[in-house]
Amino acid sequence: MIDVVKRGGKRPTESYERAKLEQSIRSALRSVKTPDGQTEDTAHAVCDIVDQWLASRHEITSEDLRRKASEALHPLHPEAAFIYKNYKIIM
Amino acid sequence: MNAITLIAIIALAALIHASFQLGVSMLTLLSGHALGTKARHRKVMNLMSSFTLGAMVMTALLLSTVAYLAFAFYGTFPSPLAWAIACGIMGGIGVAVWIFYYRSSTGTALWIPRPLAHMLHYRIKSTEYAAEAFSLGLTGVLAEIVFIIAPLLAAGFSLVQLPHYLQPVGMIMYVLIATTPLLVITTLIGGGHRISRIQKWRENNKRFMQVAAGSALFVLGFFIYVNAVLAPMWLQGAL
Repeated sequence: MIDVVKRGGKRPTESYERAKLEQSIRSALRSVKTPDGQTEDTAHAVCDIVDQWLASRHEITSEDLRRKASEALHPLHPEAAFIYKNYKIIM
Repeated sequence: MNAITLIAIIALAALIHASFQLGVSMLTLLSGHALGTKARHRKVMNLMSSFTLGAMVMTALLLSTVAYLAFAFYGTFPSPLAWAIACGIMGGIGVAVWIFYYRSSTGTALWIPRPLAHMLHYRIKSTEYAAEAFSLGLTGVLAEIVFIIAPLLAAGFSLVQLPHYLQPVGMIMYVLIATTPLLVITTLIGGGHRISRIQKWRENNKRFMQVAAGSALFVLGFFIYVNAVLAPMWLQGAL
């Protein structure tokens, strides 16, 4: 089990859930009007890359997870990666 | 000041109001969330239009309040002292805009306290109905009152000096100009533009918007100070 430290420890730590990450990648892809098929394929591909990165870790921060996922998403869909990466700093 | 000058002041004040970005950030997030949940295009447009309508209503309410208070205290001619105070507020807020309107980090993160930003994020995320989007639009304008009070004062004081038949025109003009960015974004998203492109434009031009808004407040404050404070004193021979 991998622990995700949220917002620098200001919120309770959660365990990593692939489904949750996949859902957030899907939302970013849909927000830039990506077709459904491409959305599913890309979300799976990004989560596979993140899973490989997580294989050697026991604890990560939510910021690390977001950074790694956006790095994995960038070559596949730069616009969605931009929204995913900057989501927290739009406002 | 004649009607044309007063209308020009209202128009410039509204442009300054339009350059403040909290409503735009909220609308961008709202559209992103709605699209992210696979909502139908019609629903996305409904939410965005309701948000914009809420912002328009609150802008109109705030401007009417300022104009009403100005009328209640000074009648149709606010005193030079009142104008001088308004000019001081414009200058102070102009400096504040230059210094901390945007946070120094990347992105378009604004001055608002982080707990408030997180709360707004949460509300935007939970918005499903047009009524909620409408109230978010109202809230977005209220949350930025610290900055928009300067252009509202200039417009409100000018509005009461206009002939009665021009007052509704001034009010409608202010509301339309102040909410132009929201109307433009709603139209762009409706026309199929991606929010990533809009957000990139905002990021690339945020420093320009910041400098322009702060400088415009100074210009407006100086113009009003000369016309409404110094000119009457000069005409009375006090200078």
